Amino acid sequence: MIQTIAIHTLRESLRKKTLHVLIGLGILIMAVLPLIPTTDEPDATVKMILVVFFQVVVLLCISGVILLSATSLPYEIEDKTIYGILSKPISRLKVIVGKITGFALLSVVLLVILSLFNLISVYYRASNLPEEYRGILKARTEFTASHFSIEGTLHHTREGIAWIAGGGTGVAQWSFSDIQETHETTPGFETECNLKLESGRGFIDTVPLMVRTVNDSTGRGKSEVVIAKVDKPFILKIDPEMVQKNSILNITVFPILTTDYIGVTHMDVKVFSVPKGFLSNYAKAIFITFLKFLLILIIAVMGSTYLSAPVSIVSAFVLFLCGHILEFIKDFSLLIQHHDMHEHAVPAVLKTPNILLVYMDYLIKKPLEWICFILPDFRRFDSLKFLLNGVDIPLETVGASFGYTIVYAGICLFISCIVLKKREFF
Amino acid sequence: MDSYAIRTEGLTKVYKDFWRRKSTSALTNLNLTIERGEIFGLLGPNGSGKTTTVKLLLGLLFPTSGKSWVLGYPSGNLTVKRKLGFLPEESYLYKFLNAEEILDFYAKLFDIQKKERKRRIDALIHEVRLDHVRKRPLSQYSKGMLRRIGLAQAIINDPELVILDEPTSGLDPIGSREMKDLILEFKRQKKTVVLCSHLLADVQDICDRIAIFNKGVLQVTGTVKELLSQNDAIEFVVKNLSDNDIQAVKAFVESRNGNVLSVDHPSSTLEDLFISIIQRR
Repeated sequence: MIQTIAIHTLRESLRKKTLHVLIGLGILIMAVLPLIPTTDEPDATVKMILVVFFQVVVLLCISGVILLSATSLPYEIEDKTIYGILSKPISRLKVIVGKITGFALLSVVLLVILSLFNLISVYYRASNLPEEYRGILKARTEFTASHFSIEGTLHHTREGIAWIAGGGTGVAQWSFSDIQETHETTPGFETECNLKLESGRGFIDTVPLMVRTVNDSTGRGKSEVVIAKVDKPFILKIDPEMVQKNSILNITVFPILTTDYIGVTHMDVKVFSVPKGFLSNYAKAIFITFLKFLLILIIAVMGSTYLSAPVSIVSAFVLFLCGHILEFIKDFSLLIQHHDMHEHAVPAVLKTPNILLVYMDYLIKKPLEWICFILPDFRRFDSLKFLLNGVDIPLETVGASFGYTIVYAGICLFISCIVLKKREFF
Repeated sequence: MDSYAIRTEGLTKVYKDFWRRKSTSALTNLNLTIERGEIFGLLGPNGSGKTTTVKLLLGLLFPTSGKSWVLGYPSGNLTVKRKLGFLPEESYLYKFLNAEEILDFYAKLFDIQKKERKRRIDALIHEVRLDHVRKRPLSQYSKGMLRRIGLAQAIINDPELVILDEPTSGLDPIGSREMKDLILEFKRQKKTVVLCSHLLADVQDICDRIAIFNKGVLQVTGTVKELLSQNDAIEFVVKNLSDNDIQAVKAFVESRNGNVLSVDHPSSTLEDLFISIIQRR
């Protein structure tokens, strides 16, 4: 019976003009995208295609799904078609689950259709890219340095960035351990260096660097001269033999010319393994996006069990928005806390025990914290950053998103059932 | 097994306002029994509590107090809904579907197998005379057509108990007569029919027993004959009597202290006349 309601809901949704317009608009946006001029970077168009898909097209579809799922039940109640269903031998729980399943199926249909267009577009554009820019089509596993140090002379430190002068007076070193233990089957590794470059030679585009990669146990290594471009990371291949079990991989970098400087931090050099292709990573990103759809549609359906159609739509959109700005809400509550803690921030008139400050904690900060705790956290479903950086989405991230959705959806479903069970149909 | 199709004990429904304050008493202390296999009419003006009673029996509303049982089960029970058919007062149907699709949808809710579904859908569409528009979306149906497809969905599960709320509303005289014939056919099939209507002629024609509601209170209940018969008057319908014979009969009655109230030719109903004219052509 759940299946019957689900298919009925899907069929009803697919016949709605709202959805046709949204799908058409989504496809139109993706078709027009390659024609829009971008920056000179060769992979800029591919990145833009991905960004627009995950942030604009997906948002359009989510809006459509919210509109449909938030209004389905209120319209059934308003049109009294709910009488026809509830006079049949089907429980109200099954009606709700059926509706949710129907909208989940609708989300799958939307995501499959639009992501296929997106994939074709991405592959078509990426196939024309030079080899060094095809990193976006990879699904690499990221390793950050277990240890970072400066050997020799540190020229100066500014805003947390250590600056080294050229000529070998100072050398930055990043050490990576346990890479091979984690990914023994990895066919290859690469290093991505994203350093800040400056030069006393005036305005220059490139700085020659010496990069040395050494296996600490065997002493085997390779030195390369790299002409690094300002504001552009560079990638170096690492021989798989160089990365061995229980050994440490050291990467050292310094500018060759004495007139040049590099600014470095712990996170500026990373090692990536390339275990999987873009397609599997893209599938994971779409799955995470589907979970996002699922969560918001369950929230919308939950609201619709009690609220009228317009109120249900507005509340679903508000929750969706708030779920994306939890950081801002939390920051706001911290602002109040800091205001409370730092006496200098409090005007003199308020320095004496003040009822406003005393109760601000209870009136604003604590409620905000509770709201952040209750609101759905949609930031968990951001898979775009992985795709843009060509980083493999860890299974832990997928699992955590899945688990979060299941728990949150379960609670919403429980509330929906309680509300609908108590509801009367006049 | 409960011998009653429907039983209520002190069934009361009071609607509450937004602040949960009691505002309108829709039904007050209803004690009613409906036997299995009978056609029972719920009569009353608008707002008298008929539809509220039906909704309470279906579990769409919850009683403020009192209890009700349908086919031996408490109202709203899912098991009993398998044996129940309901035609709401308006045809609340999914207008984007066609006749076949809507019947298939409702049949699936009863877990009826595909082959059987197909057989029943074909039979019902034929029975309600919608073969020629079976593929047309319901949004293009007339009110009468919607009523007929509404009836078809109500009996898709071959129910033991059929609740019909204003079944003839929106139907032309022929459709109305067919609906009444169908209800009588239900009786022959030993089904129980609960008929909500304010069209008194419809109810009088087909109901075994009736209950009359007013302002949420059951006023009277009994068989149509019991309630309508005038025990102090006698009616003869005689054929082939001349004027002289009529005068003689009249004189005889008066000689026996009888009071002749009227002597007239019996007339058929307007509905009978309409049907006979339409069928003749």
